[in-house]
Amino acid sequence: MRFEKSLYDLIKGLRNNKGAEDEYIQNCLRECKVEVKSQDMDKKATALLKLIYLEMFGYDMSWAAFNVLEVMSSAKYLQKRVGYLGAVQSFRPDTEVLMLATNMLKKDIVSPNIPALSLPLATLPHIITPSLSMSLLPDILSRLSHSNPVVRKKTIVCLYRISLVYPEALKLAWPRIKDHLMDDQEDSSVTTAAINVVCELGWRRPHDFLPLAPRLFELLVDSGNNWMAIKIIKLFATLTPLEPRLTRKLLRPLTTIIQTTTAMSLLYECINGIIQGGILDGEDNLQERDEVASLCVGKLRGMIVIDSDPNLKYVALLALNRIVTTHPMLVSVQQDVIMECLDDPDISIRLQALELAAGMVTSDTLQEVVNRLVQQLRFAPIPSQVDASGENPEEPVEVETMNTLPNDYRAEVVHRILDICSQNNYSEIEDFEWYVNVLVQLVGLLPLSEADDYLLQSYSGQDSPTSQKTTVAYRIGTEIRNIAVRVKGVRMEACRAAESLLLLDNRPLLFPVGSSVGDDVLGPVAWVVGEYAEEIRSPSRSLQSLIDPGNLSLPSNTLQLFLQAIPKVFIQANKDCETRDSWKSEISLLLARVVEFLESLAAHPDLDVQERAIEFLEVLRLGADALRSETQEVPFLITSVIPSLFMGLELKPVALNAQKKVVLSSSLRLDEPFNDDLPSLFNRVNGSLSDDLHDHGGLQDFYYIQESSPPINKPVHEITAASYLDNSYQNSVGGTLSQSAMDKHRAERRERYRDDPFYIASAGLSSGRSTPSRDVLGASHDDSFDIDNIPIIDLKLDDGPKGHGRHGTSESRRQPRRMEVAGDETIGIDDHSSPALSAGITGGSGSGRRGLLQVDSSSLGQPSISGNESQFNPVDDGDLEMRQAMQNVEQVRLRMQRASERIELEGTPDEGELVKKKKKSKKKTGVSSTGDGDQTQEKKKRKKKKVSEI
Amino acid sequence: MINAVLVFNNNGQPRLTKFYTQLDTQTQQSLIAQIYHLVAQRPASACNFLPLPPLLSQGAASSSAGPSDAPTQITYRTYATLSFIMISTSTESPLALIDLIQVFVESLDRMFENVCELDLIFGYETMHAVLSEMIVGGVVVETNTEKIIAGVRSQEGTMGKRKAVQAASTSLGRGALPGLGAWR
Repeated sequence: MRFEKSLYDLIKGLRNNKGAEDEYIQNCLRECKVEVKSQDMDKKATALLKLIYLEMFGYDMSWAAFNVLEVMSSAKYLQKRVGYLGAVQSFRPDTEVLMLATNMLKKDIVSPNIPALSLPLATLPHIITPSLSMSLLPDILSRLSHSNPVVRKKTIVCLYRISLVYPEALKLAWPRIKDHLMDDQEDSSVTTAAINVVCELGWRRPHDFLPLAPRLFELLVDSGNNWMAIKIIKLFATLTPLEPRLTRKLLRPLTTIIQTTTAMSLLYECINGIIQGGILDGEDNLQERDEVASLCVGKLRGMIVIDSDPNLKYVALLALNRIVTTHPMLVSVQQDVIMECLDDPDISIRLQALELAAGMVTSDTLQEVVNRLVQQLRFAPIPSQVDASGENPEEPVEVETMNTLPNDYRAEVVHRILDICSQNNYSEIEDFEWYVNVLVQLVGLLPLSEADDYLLQSYSGQDSPTSQKTTVAYRIGTEIRNIAVRVKGVRMEACRAAESLLLLDNRPLLFPVGSSVGDDVLGPVAWVVGEYAEEIRSPSRSLQSLIDPGNLSLPSNTLQLFLQAIPKVFIQANKDCETRDSWKSEISLLLARVVEFLESLAAHPDLDVQERAIEFLEVLRLGADALRSETQEVPFLITSVIPSLFMGLELKPVALNAQKKVVLSSSLRLDEPFNDDLPSLFNRVNGSLSDDLHDHGGLQDFYYIQESSPPINKPVHEITAASYLDNSYQNSVGGTLSQSAMDKHRAERRERYRDDPFYIASAGLSSGRSTPSRDVLGASHDDSFDIDNIPIIDLKLDDGPKGHGRHGTSESRRQPRRMEVAGDETIGIDDHSSPALSAGITGGSGSGRRGLLQVDSSSLGQPSISGNESQFNPVDDGDLEMRQAMQNVEQVRLRMQRASERIELEGTPDEGELVKKKKKSKKKTGVSSTGDGDQTQEKKKRKKKKVSEI
Repeated sequence: MINAVLVFNNNGQPRLTKFYTQLDTQTQQSLIAQIYHLVAQRPASACNFLPLPPLLSQGAASSSAGPSDAPTQITYRTYATLSFIMISTSTESPLALIDLIQVFVESLDRMFENVCELDLIFGYETMHAVLSEMIVGGVVVETNTEKIIAGVRSQEGTMGKRKAVQAASTSLGRGALPGLGAWR
């Protein structure tokens, strides 16, 4: 009579303890911990099997690694199998006991019993390390000539995985794998396995496999094995770009297969192979090629239209997505069916169609496509938050009805619409009024949150990528801003649209109910309203909306932009009421309310907000003072001084790299002090002013200077329009400025401003009499550095080719007007060195780190497998050593981490850990093959330190 | 290559997890949860391809950029109460993977004679044995049902199903399986 539970008892017990599973499992784990240490191998193996079963549910069993080895060494096959299964399921890169297993593995590999021999072959790919590879390689190689094909095929695959961690293995193994591949008499399973391995290796080093082409061709035509044919075609797709003659040879058999096969998977892969292998885009104009192209597209169309199988629809769209990059014309003919797919009930199909639609739009089809997508969003209700939560895994999540769209899909659609419309600096858009209208509509259709709650939840353990990602709402706001800045023709419409979004009364109507997604839109929109305040319909209403006390709760980056807009809109509102008799009371009232709003922000926790609030507060308080003292007319301070703070140059989009290319003026000497005796100068200024007037001292100067300055008498922007015209890159010849031309401009400018008190003269010409306060003031108008100091607007476009704008009349209202779209301003030819920007926009996919589940085959790229021993490369050896060292260090690091996680529980913990419930952030540090020495040393140091601590 | 094979039921409880690269347990669990979340949303009429879950889409480049080591395809297929999932790189054919899942299920069906979820719970080891006859280290080694069955039988003897049940219970001297309702 025995009392231990079997796996069967465990499962049955789980069922009987419904609701209290965790407690039951903890009990079982405790029992297993005892049983697994038992001397009785039966007991041990049973306990291990139970642990493996519980590991599947997330209960850690890494502590049992040594017991796994014990069971692996059992003489009974079924027990041995449990041990090997335990190794596959629970060994991690940091499992160290593996070192002890080498001899046992060696013994099992040469076992005469085929099932026992298969176990290590199937297990090694999961647990292999470079050192293990080195010691086991000879034995594994010998298995290639085993009499049983089952052993041979598994050995081939096992050798492939060994080569991934130990590239030298491939040199020895490849000639022998090749022999098996070439051998006509070989078992077909072995040949297929070899082909599968070659297919994995193929794209890493296609040149090495070109000599195999005749044999592959033979297998493709004669074998009649569809599984293998698919792989061969995939392999050929990587080979054809290297060998044009292959294309000619393959065309006919592939055509035959396409026309005759009944296997859809083979048909699809043939088409895919033709596309990916570049067979369609050869230079010589074979008639056959055109035929094949139309045959492929025809078949793909058939897959979408005729068959009702959603899988075929999906893969056909997948293939069309590949064709569209090279042959957009071929695909756009199929537009009708693709548009159908945009409304397909299946989200996967829709996403593919969406990508395709984005790839093939032209100016003719753009409006149709976008309107269709907007309609789709409009008529699908936004799923409520409750549905999206996956809190109760016990109940199956209800299948959502077809017309509600998941949030991430909605966000994806909006992203795509913006991508489609803004591509190539808006070159495809004909009607910008329509676009502005679409943007406003999109705001109302935004999903409540970017991703479903559930996914956000699982993100929170990671380093929360959503926070860095530009939200779709923010993108819409920036699009409106972009249009307002770049497309002068619709600036008024864009501003009006921005205004309508900003107005307090409209917000409940235009923004999705009960969410804060609008907050991201409001920032850029407020900027537009402020910057182009002269275009908006009702400055006073806009101002009211900007200074509404409800805004105080907005996020700080939105508030910053609000603050920047408030004085600009205030000025505009003043202009409107200046003409009226009651101007004084109206302006006083407005001013009082603005000041009140700013005061409430003067102690905002965000420093940026606080600073801006206080700055504007001080300026506007002065205005209020002025308003109280003078009586008859609007104070000069309000009519001219404050406006001139904001109306300098017109802001233009500047290319990301333009600033870097500005050549430093030879006369600009940043190292030389303005005045050698600056401290005493300051002291003099300070001494001359009483303390309480100190703040205002600069401002008194400010009055004085402004009055004497010439630009004050005319509206400032007129001057800029006239005098700065020649400096605009837009109008300069070819859009580029040579060095000499720039120097000339600079010299002219210097000359022009020489006597202008607003500008700091070049060092040589300096009068040396400028006071500090004047310097400060001068900075706001300062132009002596370069024209390129104009503020940089956030642009998300890569620098597109310039001059997309088409000149046209803006008279006819009915027809869409051709708008001039301002390109990014830059100097010289742009070298597109802005990877940081584009990465930032796409959400900053960490290209540096290795993806999950990824098998790193990059090491296969270097060594040659031609079997030439003399080509032995010492660098690889060093590489290998380094990698091993890195791995060791990594292991130690992981062990330390683990140790620190369970502080008290040395060795085997009493309580099992349910890893599922812990959402710890775990940084995966990929073992890089080119790890730098510093890092390694540092880690080694840390290791030593830890060791000594222990 | 195939990066992982997963089987879970309609409630998201795993029935088989096989990762062909080493991955820590908690990441495994959150990946399973994310994929289950995606599968659960899909109606029966939808196609058998899933978009990448957040965990996988983070590191992956765009799928059209040619072959790479990053997994780009997730193929799933649902049979009665169980969903079979294969995560693979672009070197696998999506339609062939659907067929491969079919081969897997057919083989299990042959092993267990009219397989159901319960068989797979109790025949846990046999299920792993079937899979390791088909896929080794992420590379497909066999697609022929006969040969797969032969391979598993050579390990467990000819008594397939009975043996599988015995492997779980013989050591305790229990005979038949009483009260085998749907577990949990």
